Amino acid sequence: MSTTASAPTTTQATSSSATPSKFGVFAITFSISGPVIYCLIQHFNYPLVTYWPAIGRLVWGLEAARPNSGPNMLWYGWTLTTIIIASALGIAAMFLPEGMFKKIPLWLVWLFPILAVPYVIYSLMYWWRLAARQ
Amino acid sequence: MRGLISTNTFWTLWLLGHLILALGLLGALTHQAMAVAFPVRKPAAGAGIVTRFRAVSAAGYATAVCVLYVLIFLIGSFIYTQYRIAIRIPLEAQHYYRTGGFFDFKEHMATIGLVLLPAYWYFWKNAQNPHYDNARKGVTLVLAAIVWFLFIVGHVLNNTRGFAS
Repeated sequence: MSTTASAPTTTQATSSSATPSKFGVFAITFSISGPVIYCLIQHFNYPLVTYWPAIGRLVWGLEAARPNSGPNMLWYGWTLTTIIIASALGIAAMFLPEGMFKKIPLWLVWLFPILAVPYVIYSLMYWWRLAARQ
Repeated sequence: MRGLISTNTFWTLWLLGHLILALGLLGALTHQAMAVAFPVRKPAAGAGIVTRFRAVSAAGYATAVCVLYVLIFLIGSFIYTQYRIAIRIPLEAQHYYRTGGFFDFKEHMATIGLVLLPAYWYFWKNAQNPHYDNARKGVTLVLAAIVWFLFIVGHVLNNTRGFAS
């Protein structure tokens, strides 16, 4: 891995500027909201699509277990739903007044993924219970 | 493609590609995380390997990290279809529940890592703006931790079922 590969430009922001560009507002909003949305989508089970790998079937929304179809996969759907909602929020944030966006603390970008970990572990209780029964 | 090689070889090649790209991502992000966590102000001549490891131009990795992450995510998503049928079902049948649980943990963390990329890239693109210093450091360390976790779980899972199985 070269240290010179794809170096991002660092000229767009000045040291005195705390106001992100339009893309910056989108990116920061997307990344702050993304982990929260993903946990909610997974908790309430709103996949955009359901995929059945054994028969190669892809359907909109949630499709529950069917006979002779093998297992279904919801993770693709959860991820797509998350990306769409986080993108919509990011685009909406681009139209917020500048002062309002500045009030959003940037540390939420790294705090929410950390806070998501206990929830994710809890959401997998099915597995941990099965493992504990052995 | 699948007519030329066996199904096992087909999926093994994809898994190897996934692994090789993951190694690149792991290296780049670890360099970057070390550089932001323990920055070297002035690399002294004849500095040790740890100092040189930390003294990289961290901003230069950001785009490569994003591209690699997305590529690995897409390949992983493709391999996942085979995992769900050929790997997870036998794992469950053999009562490897903790292993299955950790793979699901991995899939969730992979998506959470993916949604961090836009802010991560933006903070590094504006690496000279001190307003983003703490957020850039935080998101880089979290992303590095996520990638290490994904790598280790994937590695252990592969060992559980066996290579090319």
